[in-house]
Amino acid sequence: MNDSSIFKPTVLDRRQFLKGTGGFLLAMTIPAGTNRAMADTTLPANATGTAYIRIGADESITILVGGGEMGQGIYTGLAMGAAEELKVKWEKVKVEPLPASASWLSAGSGGIRSRLPTFLKAGAAAREMLVSAAAQTWGVAVTNCQAVDGTVKNLLNNDVMTYGQLAQLAATLPVPTAPALTPAANYRIIGTPAARPDLVGKVNGSAKYGLDVVVDGMALAIVKHAPVMGGTLKDPVNISVPSGASAVVKLGATATNPVNNAIALVSWLPGANTWGLMETMKNISGNIWNTPANAALLDSTVFKSQAMSLLGRGTPFIAEQKGDVDTAFASAARVLEMTYTLPYLPHACMEVLNCTVRMTPATAPFTACEIWAPTQAPNSVLSTASAVTGLPKTAIRIYPMFMGGGLGRKFEQDYITQAITTAMAIGRPVKLVWPRSEDMQRDQYRPMAVTRIRVALDAVGKITGWQNRHVSPSISAQRRTTPLTAHDANATEGATALPYAFPSRLIDYVQHMSPIPVGYWRSVGYSINAFAVESAIDEVAHAAGVDELVLRRQLISASTDPLAARTLAVLNAAAATAGWETTAVPAGRARGIAVAQAFGTIVAEVAEISVTLTAGVPTNFTVHKVACAVDCGTAVNPNSVEAQMQGGIFHGLSAAKWGELKWTAGKASVTNFNKYRMTRMSEAPVITTTIVNSGAPMSGTGEPGVPPIAPAVANAYFKLTGIRVRDLPFFPGATMGG
Amino acid sequence: MITLNVNGQSYQVDVPSNTPLLWVLRDILHLTGTKYGCGISVCWACTVLINGKEDKSCDVTVGSAAGKAITTVEGLSTMSPDPNNPLNRLQKAWIDHQAPQCGYCQSGMLMRAAALLIEYQGQDNPVPSDGAISGAMQNICVCGTYQRVKAAIKSAATGN
Repeated sequence: MNDSSIFKPTVLDRRQFLKGTGGFLLAMTIPAGTNRAMADTTLPANATGTAYIRIGADESITILVGGGEMGQGIYTGLAMGAAEELKVKWEKVKVEPLPASASWLSAGSGGIRSRLPTFLKAGAAAREMLVSAAAQTWGVAVTNCQAVDGTVKNLLNNDVMTYGQLAQLAATLPVPTAPALTPAANYRIIGTPAARPDLVGKVNGSAKYGLDVVVDGMALAIVKHAPVMGGTLKDPVNISVPSGASAVVKLGATATNPVNNAIALVSWLPGANTWGLMETMKNISGNIWNTPANAALLDSTVFKSQAMSLLGRGTPFIAEQKGDVDTAFASAARVLEMTYTLPYLPHACMEVLNCTVRMTPATAPFTACEIWAPTQAPNSVLSTASAVTGLPKTAIRIYPMFMGGGLGRKFEQDYITQAITTAMAIGRPVKLVWPRSEDMQRDQYRPMAVTRIRVALDAVGKITGWQNRHVSPSISAQRRTTPLTAHDANATEGATALPYAFPSRLIDYVQHMSPIPVGYWRSVGYSINAFAVESAIDEVAHAAGVDELVLRRQLISASTDPLAARTLAVLNAAAATAGWETTAVPAGRARGIAVAQAFGTIVAEVAEISVTLTAGVPTNFTVHKVACAVDCGTAVNPNSVEAQMQGGIFHGLSAAKWGELKWTAGKASVTNFNKYRMTRMSEAPVITTTIVNSGAPMSGTGEPGVPPIAPAVANAYFKLTGIRVRDLPFFPGATMGG
Repeated sequence: MITLNVNGQSYQVDVPSNTPLLWVLRDILHLTGTKYGCGISVCWACTVLINGKEDKSCDVTVGSAAGKAITTVEGLSTMSPDPNNPLNRLQKAWIDHQAPQCGYCQSGMLMRAAALLIEYQGQDNPVPSDGAISGAMQNICVCGTYQRVKAAIKSAATGN
């Protein structure tokens, strides 16, 4: 099998990476309009939101894509857009990562949604320039020339020139500002299940993830943090370098924080290896760490009681308010009140955090810095590197490597800072690795949350008022120095803007000050809030004696929410696939349904489950089938959309069943996968994905598969067992063996 | 010095004999297709073949692997000279089904699947059942590629 992975090892040499191919490079930024064609020798710095297309004299077609590839198919979806308009065969297209200076952030499921128009327009512009170059060469009008599969055809005499032959001349022509775009009905690539170009390397072992980087002469380093959250390295402290290592480097908490909270153990001895360093680390005394004074309070029981008490006091920030909630509740025939709780969750990416850095020269004063990192945020890495090294951004080059999962964790900069610090200290390149135990214990976790939903019902069981108070640590507040002055929208997303007709509603947020670092976990607030909201809707249905699908239909049909009609279509599509109204549920099973919007994409899921009883008590459940329907406007690559739905469902399912990280005296309960159980193939449901192409503006699919699965299984579980699970996970304390 | 036979090539390595094979492959031989996931024999990301049987390379010492035929994902395509051997259909089936997402656990998946197909070679029915596939494939995939991986294994086994 050929090595056609995106990242060939040669990418590790920057001259190779940027070496010209004698063709041309089109850079097109929309809407700013700083479009230009240039000889393919260099990339301009600081051009963001730019599509780059490189056409080589050797007929190679390369689309340069930013952000980071973590399995979501960003390298495929955007390149498909450029290839569509370029009129080239998809199989001919290669994809390369954009240098960080021109890159962007992979977050918010926005990679393809927000940038596809730019890539379409860039492809069309490049095509028109190539056609113009052919017309000029032949001395005919452009209307007599047609782009066909990487060539331009002279319609008068059937002469043909290839893009490679035309590239050099095309590069000298003006860039059209309004190139003709192909009508969607004529698309030949977009909307087809196109093969991902990164998969060959991912099945033959040649794809390079961050952890696979090898740089000449590099040392290996592993990290150990203070064992108690918030702990620091003693100062002064004397750490002798143990036998089997070459150096110990003190690591600060952030680029600007002088307080050290970790060490790197480094080796450049012959035979150095990561395991050897992990063994050697055991020989470093535990007496080098300060334990924070509040360690005893860093405890999950304490956190939960704090959050529960915040439900009833504190100053809430209003996230959404409509109608007169007080009157609705005062005049209610019946009030339901439910409190849902969710734990801290680690990201648990399969690839641990790591970063490789080479400073030039090896010792100060430095003139350049190169970084190979699995990152969702190449541009942030550039800023971090500039801050840590003091070098201008132009002296820094970032090579974004494949990520073995990102899930929101590889957006952060802590591991980048540590690797740069280490390389600067030891006078040689270094690959710095977090052992799995560090990756689990020093994550930036999905926030724990306590959310209380109150529902006012009138005499006939109709909802007249909806109140949702959400208490959780604020991700955004932890990342700035000033206190919150309004609700944290990440915390309440999925609790607000519901497509249901609630005559009155009040959604508010109380910040839970917690010293545990929190971060962006696949679908962020949506996965938390969808569990509470969609469980509560189900509880209302059962309380009112109405079928859960029927109640949702009623609430959506009566809603004026702009997404209501699309939500109803998605809900109905999932219900139809599941046979909700047409196929009897097999004995011993039950179905549960949930629907949620995230990042503009609407997903409904129906889970069909059975439970395992141990001594009459449910100890596990099996999800046999999930019928999933998704409306992301227009699916660029149905193959990727289906994969992302499957991925989101598995991720959310494992978290709902078993996902939990607890704190005891500042120490995390999860140190490895044996204490963080994941769904395996033998436990995997058969997932059927129905794509509802509503034609609405495109929206992302990397995250929206996650939110509906937890409430869908909780709702099925209630029907089957009569037990309403309001506290996740279903089965705390789960373990997993090999 | 320990002599290792990896993908038909001989390597001399100078490390303590209790060093896990995983780290010798990755950090010393730079055969980085074999992945580190947990290091405690739970996730199966580091699966390799040793004398044609699956094993977790984080849990095999380099001393005990000495002299045995070690196959990593880099050597999978050259294990059998017979183009009709199902092993030679595995990687193509993986791509046909567009199985990988982030891809990180897939080399371990492929090697576990290879061991399964080897086990079924020469049996009356050389195609493992759904249950046999699910039972064998203990690999953790956080991306949730199981459905496509299972389909790919069946394709490779049947040639369809």
